[in-house]
Amino acid sequence: MPKLIKSEINVEGRITEEYAVVDGDELAAWGENEELAIVGQPAPRIDGAAKTTGEARFSYDVQLPGMLYAKVLRSPHPNARVLRVDASRAEQLPGVVVVLTHETAPDIKVREGKLPLLPEDARFAGELVAAVAATDPDIAADALALIEVEYETLPFITDFTLALEGSAPKVRPNGNVVSQPSVTERGDLKAGLAVADVRVELTVRTPTAVHNALETHGCVAAWEGDQLTMYESSQHVYGVRTFAAKKLGLPVSKVRAIGTYMGGGFGAKFPGQPYSMVAATLAKRSRRPVHLMYDREGENLESGYRGASVQHVKLGAKRDGSLTAIELDGLTECGSYANWVVSLGGPYAMMYTCPNVKLTTTGVHTNIGPFQAFRAPGFVEGMVGLEQGMDLLAEKLGMDPLELRRRNLAKLDQSEDKPFSSFPVEECYRRGAEAIGWNKRKPTNDQSRSSERLRRGTGMASQIWWGGGGPPAYAEVQLNGDGTATVLTGAQDLGTGARTIFAQVAAEELGLELGSVGVTIGDTYAGPFGPASGGSVTTGSMTPAVRSAANDLRVQLCSIVAQLEDVPEEELEVRGGTVYRRDTPVSSVKSIMRKLGDVMLIGKGSRGPNPSDVSVVTSGAQFAEVEVDTVTGRVRVIKIVAAHDSGRIVNPQTFTSQIQGGIIQGLGLALTEQRVIDHRAGQILNPNLEWYKLPTVADIPEIVNLLIDIPDTKANSLGSKGAGEPGIIPTAAAIANAVANALGVRIFELPITPARVLEALETIA
Amino acid sequence: MIEQGQTTAIELSVNGHRHRLRLEARRSLLDALRIDLGLTGTKQVCNMGNCGSCTVLIDDQPVYSCLTLAIECVDKQIRTIEGLNENGTLHPLQQAFIEHDALQCGFCTPGQVMAACGLLARNPHPSEAEVVEGMSGNLCRCGAYRGIVQAVLAVSAEG
Amino acid sequence: MKNFTHIDAQSIEHTIPLLDYYARPLAGGTDLIPLMREGVWQPDRLVNLKPLADLHFLREAGDGLHIGALTTLDELDRSPLVRERYQALAEAAHSAASPQLRNMATLGGNLLQQVRCWYYRGPFNCWMKGGDHCPARSGENEHHAVFDQSPCVAVYPSDPPAALITLDASIRIVGPDGARSVKVADFLAPPDELHRVMHGLGLNELITEIVVPHTTARSLYLKAMDRAVWAYALVSVAVAGEVANGTITNPRIVLGAVANVPVRLGAVEALIDGQLLTDELIKEAGTMATHGMEPLAHNHYKLPLARNLVRQALRDLTGQRM
Ligand SMILES: Cc1cc2nc3c(=O)[nH]c(=O)nc-3n(C[C@H](O)[C@H](O)[C@H](O)COP(=O)(O)OP(=O)(O)OC[C@H]3O[C@@H](n4cnc5c(N)ncnc54)[C@H](O)[C@@H]3O)c2cc1C
Ligand code: SF4
Ligand code: FES
Ligand code: FES
Repeated sequence: MPKLIKSEINVEGRITEEYAVVDGDELAAWGENEELAIVGQPAPRIDGAAKTTGEARFSYDVQLPGMLYAKVLRSPHPNARVLRVDASRAEQLPGVVVVLTHETAPDIKVREGKLPLLPEDARFAGELVAAVAATDPDIAADALALIEVEYETLPFITDFTLALEGSAPKVRPNGNVVSQPSVTERGDLKAGLAVADVRVELTVRTPTAVHNALETHGCVAAWEGDQLTMYESSQHVYGVRTFAAKKLGLPVSKVRAIGTYMGGGFGAKFPGQPYSMVAATLAKRSRRPVHLMYDREGENLESGYRGASVQHVKLGAKRDGSLTAIELDGLTECGSYANWVVSLGGPYAMMYTCPNVKLTTTGVHTNIGPFQAFRAPGFVEGMVGLEQGMDLLAEKLGMDPLELRRRNLAKLDQSEDKPFSSFPVEECYRRGAEAIGWNKRKPTNDQSRSSERLRRGTGMASQIWWGGGGPPAYAEVQLNGDGTATVLTGAQDLGTGARTIFAQVAAEELGLELGSVGVTIGDTYAGPFGPASGGSVTTGSMTPAVRSAANDLRVQLCSIVAQLEDVPEEELEVRGGTVYRRDTPVSSVKSIMRKLGDVMLIGKGSRGPNPSDVSVVTSGAQFAEVEVDTVTGRVRVIKIVAAHDSGRIVNPQTFTSQIQGGIIQGLGLALTEQRVIDHRAGQILNPNLEWYKLPTVADIPEIVNLLIDIPDTKANSLGSKGAGEPGIIPTAAAIANAVANALGVRIFELPITPARVLEALETIA
Repeated sequence: MIEQGQTTAIELSVNGHRHRLRLEARRSLLDALRIDLGLTGTKQVCNMGNCGSCTVLIDDQPVYSCLTLAIECVDKQIRTIEGLNENGTLHPLQQAFIEHDALQCGFCTPGQVMAACGLLARNPHPSEAEVVEGMSGNLCRCGAYRGIVQAVLAVSAEG
Repeated sequence: MKNFTHIDAQSIEHTIPLLDYYARPLAGGTDLIPLMREGVWQPDRLVNLKPLADLHFLREAGDGLHIGALTTLDELDRSPLVRERYQALAEAAHSAASPQLRNMATLGGNLLQQVRCWYYRGPFNCWMKGGDHCPARSGENEHHAVFDQSPCVAVYPSDPPAALITLDASIRIVGPDGARSVKVADFLAPPDELHRVMHGLGLNELITEIVVPHTTARSLYLKAMDRAVWAYALVSVAVAGEVANGTITNPRIVLGAVANVPVRLGAVEALIDGQLLTDELIKEAGTMATHGMEPLAHNHYKLPLARNLVRQALRDLTGQRM
């Protein structure tokens, strides 16, 4: 029987409560010693061939008969009112089919339902002003150049550190503070600081980091009569459907959203952004499919980023290292539109035991495009502040930094006063320290006197995040006439390997070979609702639903076999594609299904509720070894050891890839990536991959990913949790600590560029 | 000569097949492949020579097709990702990419595979440092780099 | 990108009369195409030089190394001849851009690469583009010049030319009035009011070849970047000199990415010429390398970097690896 519950939905740390319908009789979790044949084994991606041959069709690759190519005109001004748009010359250009301006745009409200699709007030350089659909992308680009726009330019502010000053122009009518500052408080901070034997105070800065997924934002919109198909590069295919239906006043049954393959999201590709409605409108008006994919510059100007942060931090501790107080006063850059603020305080609140805490994060509006969640938003930045503070504290206490952390490790979820379902950080510390050779680490104080050209240092940082997932999430598994099975769900695979682990879970539960399970995902016409892929929830939300559907199917299969072969159903079992009665093979699934002809067995499943008595988190630690070249100032990361608890690891190979991917993005944040803005002009100077520097293959260290692999049996029926965010959370902090250890001087601002290293070295020379 | 704003008919040899197409002088090879020939395996990411996703081989040399004019490729042998497994079996590099999980989202993958293909054509047995060097013109935002290096090394060891 | 007429060059003589402000020669296209996409340049006609086989060669003759203008950076990097005798050039070519770009980029085009200043390449009508002031001077200038040579503070972005200057190379140029030859060191010059580019090529001239005189000197090129590969130099240094028993003679030292053009360090050369390169002397040379530098608000680091690189280059040149 289905059960109606209220469920906490946590997308990248944004928590809301919603209804969910779940299985009334959830499967018991696979135990720690469960013997599993496929789950837990490395398996190559099932979509590997499609992706390596170029056959995988991304939204960007969709080509439909008669399709038009759209391009958008963006405001060149950081704050301006559009007075007049004259598109007549563009409209006359041969090949141009539709031009959309604020005058001709439909009445669709975007940006949380508040603003017109093409606003008259452009609040950042890069805001959409007009769009053109033409028979060829070059023609569309020519047409943009023919659109004349008259702007009234207005005062602007792009520096979030100055946007709260009284004299700063207001970005939004209510000023530049985004809603209310988020405050987490427990105990008495003042008293906690007063009783401390040792206190440290630091200010840490992290840069604006741009997701820069290689596939840009965009979609292809195609109408057939009153039915709309949206091929969108999205982290939530079902959300694309809901958004489009709502904005266009269509029944959801008339909207098909497809996202079979997508070229990276990292948090920036949740539905609800204006371009999809621009594309749908252009397609409607032209009565032809429209391809609207941003270019790299548009991606950088409009499509989101991890806001820069400034964190003022105070920590207090007793002589024995026990924390007495943590204070954070943080600012985070949010850009021109925001309806939530990332939690810089998350790690400060959760990682270590501390009775007296006050953590404030203030989100600041600026005349820059809106920020978007970026892989563990707030937590990556927060760890950079917290963990550098912990290292400073350790130095002051004369204590080993790892020991200090051990002594303070949280014993329960202090915000909810609940135990964790699983929190094996000690184990991560132990194995990580061993793998990096922590006991050979030199004390930081010795290093500043070294005259070596290449200086090595070691540092570490801890990790905490949610990532258990939850309902609602649904799947179906079909058993086909040839004995193969197909998993169907509207969830999506951002490159995490979701497709592959769905197949593994279904094969395991069904007792089929992995090769006989196919997966159809990313299509709302093909599979039931799947949740947004963000916040590392896909594994924890979806795999139990898949397992439940597969189980439902297996029960049906056994019942059918019992009837067909006249054997007792309770004695049947399916293994390796064969049905057994106790240990005697009855028949292969294939031949049973062949016998049944066109019969199809369909199993349905949903994700059960989360436990209410425990708090489900992922946790872990990373250790970094770096080498700083004192001649060039460049930091080379030599080795990262990662130890993360994501519960049961369904596929060690794709799990390791996820962790590596997180680490590499963390490394970019630590060393090379930063948006540069000319605040006088209100312009981003590096909206490209030339000066926004992603790490290259030559920047990558040896990465040792230790598989902790402890099933979190209280979390869900798989015992699995996500791995998308954990990998990135501690990396930048660990690198910063390693650099400080190498140099004997600390650089409090990321990225740690050669310029900053050289300047720091000058101060101690 | 192609006059400004005019199109001209040319023939391109892509993966051993000859294709006739009409295009303007400004058409990049990348757009010609994707838009005019429907070969969408090759990806555009930056269109400025900063990422490597558009890598194809021209006369066995890996180049960025976004900075190459299509009309300048007449009489050249162009090889794209679609040409690697034409006989239906995966190319060893494609196989190795899958085995070593040298991909995540897969968007950079065609460019990576073609860069690797060009590298091995010139240097069939590169050292690890040479692989890193040879693959350094291809960004991967998902961070599949370790697998990529391992995959290329694996193929070089086989061959 | 705006439409243009595309002409395949038939010969050098055929090409020269075609060229003017609106008709530009196209080699590898790795700079010209991006400039056109960004709308910085909008020529009406491109003359494709690649059919000119007589611009594509690399050979040694009695007077030295002759490099056709169409020679790619990759060909320079891989040529055993260049690697052995003109190491700085091979290393500079190797350090530039990415493998694919090096397959495409020609040395002729490289000499003429436009500044990579992010204002110039972005939506700013800066001085270099014909405007009347330089927003970088008081703006985001971490990648800009530490020598004030003109109203523009952009640095010359190409790597190989610093090596070419160290090796005393010349450029052969053909124009309507015939051929001329000019030292790379003289060819590259800071821009001025009327001439807002960093080189001395006329609009109707072609670079045909680059000649590097024979040398017995050792040379090398060091480049500091903010990631491991595929980045413009933060600062670079090319050095050459004859080294025997720790003593250096005829040293030539050129810094890159510190000014509108590569900067030859004559005073440092004089300091060390004929001297035993002791640790103290090397240190002094490094310190002297920064004389006259006037950093902008965000590029102070270029001083210690230039100092360190000069020291390191001298150590490496004399085999005192450290
Ligand atoms: C992403 C990226 C990174 C890069 N990194 C580096 C780097 O680290 N170091 C570095 O040195 N360079 C770097 N470059 C620049 C690259 O090396 C140059 O763009 C290239 O060398 C230019 O050569 P080309 O043949 O492509 O020139 P083109 O783009 O074809 O032409 C450049 C200019 O030279 C003119 N021209 C070309 N040949 C001749 C000739 N024979 N006679 C007269 N005029 C001519 C053209 O009209 C044009 O004005 C990078 C480029 C890119 C895109
Ligand atoms: S440095 Fe030169 S190119 Fe850059 S903004 Fe100033 S004038 Fe323009
Ligand atoms: S698309 Fe060609 S290099 Fe990025
Ligand atoms: S696999 Fe996603 S960018 Fe490389």
